[in-house]
Amino acid sequence: MISRPFSRKAAGGAALCAFLLSSTLTMAQNTGGQNAGGFDPNSQIGPNPILPEPQQYLFPPMNLAKVVGWKEGETPTVPAGLKIEALATGLQHPRSLYVLPNGDVLVVESQGPGVEPVKRPKDLVMGWIESMVTGGGGGGGESNRITLLRDADGDGKPETQSVFLDHLNSPFGVALVGSDLYVANTDSIMRYHYNDGDTKIADPGTPLTALPGGPIDHHWTKSLVASPDGSLLYVGVGSNSNVSENGMEAEKNRAAIWEVDRATGRWRIFASGLRNPNGLSFEPVTGALWTVVNERDELGPDLVPDYMTSVKDGAFYGWPYSYYGQHIDPRVQPQRPDLVQKAIPPDYALSSHVAPLGMTFYTADNLPAKYKGGAFVGEHGSWDRDKFNGYKVVFVPFTDGHPSGKAEDVVTGFLDANEAARGRPVGVAVDKTGALLIADDVGNTVWRVTGGAPQTAAVR
Amino acid sequence: MAYEHPHSTVRIAKHPIHPMLVPFPIAFFVGTLLTDIAYWRTAEMMWADFSAWLVSAGVVLGFIAAIAGLIDFLSDRLVRRQTSAWLHAIGNLVVLTLATINMFMHTRDAWTSIVPWGLTLSAAVVVLLLFTTWMGWSMVYRHGVGVENAGVVE
Repeated sequence: MISRPFSRKAAGGAALCAFLLSSTLTMAQNTGGQNAGGFDPNSQIGPNPILPEPQQYLFPPMNLAKVVGWKEGETPTVPAGLKIEALATGLQHPRSLYVLPNGDVLVVESQGPGVEPVKRPKDLVMGWIESMVTGGGGGGGESNRITLLRDADGDGKPETQSVFLDHLNSPFGVALVGSDLYVANTDSIMRYHYNDGDTKIADPGTPLTALPGGPIDHHWTKSLVASPDGSLLYVGVGSNSNVSENGMEAEKNRAAIWEVDRATGRWRIFASGLRNPNGLSFEPVTGALWTVVNERDELGPDLVPDYMTSVKDGAFYGWPYSYYGQHIDPRVQPQRPDLVQKAIPPDYALSSHVAPLGMTFYTADNLPAKYKGGAFVGEHGSWDRDKFNGYKVVFVPFTDGHPSGKAEDVVTGFLDANEAARGRPVGVAVDKTGALLIADDVGNTVWRVTGGAPQTAAVR
Repeated sequence: MAYEHPHSTVRIAKHPIHPMLVPFPIAFFVGTLLTDIAYWRTAEMMWADFSAWLVSAGVVLGFIAAIAGLIDFLSDRLVRRQTSAWLHAIGNLVVLTLATINMFMHTRDAWTSIVPWGLTLSAAVVVLLLFTTWMGWSMVYRHGVGVENAGVVE
C-alpha cells in the first residue's frame, strides 16, 4: 500500500469534520434553539403580548426547579399589608381547593393517572430527568382523595383535618349545587349527596358524564365550575399532547371547555382550541366564564404566552393549528386554514410558560380594597426555559369586569435563593373569612393569605 | 507470496467485533430515512415515532461500533496504512456527528421533527454511508483487514 504522510491526512480529515460540524450546527441554530437575548417576559403580560418569531431547538430545553420543600417556619413571601400562614401541612399533592357554604375547605389531593405511554425515546429520557429533579419532595402517600379542613372560628388554625372522600381517580374540579356535590375525576364527573356540615361522604357516587381520560391522558386535570343559576356545569378538558404529536385522533373532544347539563348529563363543546384550560370561574360583574390556559411548549423560551380569557360560546382559540389568532404553528400538519381563519386571540397574556393552573375572582373584604373585583392566578412555574418564570401567585386587576392593568406579584418565594423549589402554587380559592387560599402541590401545604386583620395578628 | 493481513484488536475468539456491530447502525439509519419519507408523505405520527427510535438506536450502536473500530484503527499500523481505512474512519465520524444532530432534531414534536431538516439529515447520512461502507468493504475484502493469516496458503 502507498502510505501518505500521516499528519497531512489527519489535518485534512479534522478540517473536513470541523467544517461539516460547524456548518450543520449553524444550520440548526438558524432554525432555532437559542434564547433570545434580553427578551423581557413582562412584555408578554397584558392584552397585546409581544410575540417573537418561533424558535425550534436543537437540544430539548428542560429546566425544572430541584425540589427542596419548606423548612420549619419558612413561608412564601407576601407584600407589606398582607400576611401568610400555613392552613394545613403534610398533605399529598394538594392541587385544587373548594370552599363549602359553611366555610369548610375541601383540599383535592391528586396525582396524575400515569397512563401516558412511552411513544418515543424523548418520553423515556424526559420522564427520567423529571423524576430525578423533582423526586426530592414529600408525598408518595395516599392521594387521589379530598381532605376536609374545618376552621369554624376562622383563625387560620383548622380544628379538624379529615378525609372527606377517598379512592378517586385523579380528581381536580369540585362544584356544589344545592345538595349535589360534583367531583371531576380525570375520566368522569361524579355526583355525591352532601348535607350541610357533613365531614365525610358515604355515598358511593353516581356518574353524571364520562370525560376523556385514557389512553394517554396527557393533560389530565379537569377543572369544574357550576353556572351561576346552577343548571349547567363547565368542565376544562386539556389536550392529549403538546401540539398534536400523538395524532389528532387522540384529541377528540379535548382542548376544549365542555358545557354539561346538570339534570341529564348531556354535554356539548362550549369552546375549543384551548390547549389546557383550568381555573374556570365566573367573572362577577359581567357574568362571563373565564379560564386560564397553558399554551404550547418548545417554540422558544418566549413562546407561546399562557393566558387568561373570557370564553365565548362556540369560539375557537387556535390550538393546535395556531396561537393568538392566526400565528400558525409550523409543527402541525395537515394544517386547517378554515379553523385558523376563525381563531380568536385570548383577552390577557400572563407571560410564557408560567403554567397557570388556578384562578379565582376576589369579591370579599379581608384583603386590601385594591384586590376587590380582580383575579388571583396560581402559576405553577416553567419547565422548558432557562430562566424560571411563574412559581408565584399573581393578581390581575379588573375594572367593570375587564382586566385593567399589569399583573402584579402577590405570593412569591416558592423558589429559594438557589432557585430550588420549596413549593409550587396550583389552585386558588377564597375562604369564608375572605382570605386567599393557595394549594401548593410540591410543598404539600395549603397557604392562607389574609389582610393582616387584628384577629390573626397575634398568631405566630 | 506472503501478505501479512492488518489485524483486528477488538475480537472475540479471533472474530473481529466491529464488523459484527456495524450492520445495526447502517440498517437503522437506512430505516430512519424510509420512515422519515413515510411521515413526510402521510403526516401519520406513527412513522415519526419509528424514526425517533431508529435514529436513536442507530446513534447508540453507532458509537459502540465506532469505539471498536477506532481501537482496531489505532492499534495496528498496517490498518492505518490503508487509505480506505482513513476515509472509512473520518467519513463515519462525520456520519455519527450528523446522525447525533439528527437524533436531537427528531425529539421535536410532530412535523418539524422531520420536515425539512430531519429528512435532509437522514438522507445525507445514508448517502455518506454508501461511501464509508464501501470503504469498509474495501478494507476487508480487498486488503483483508482482520482476516486471519493462518488461513492463507503461503
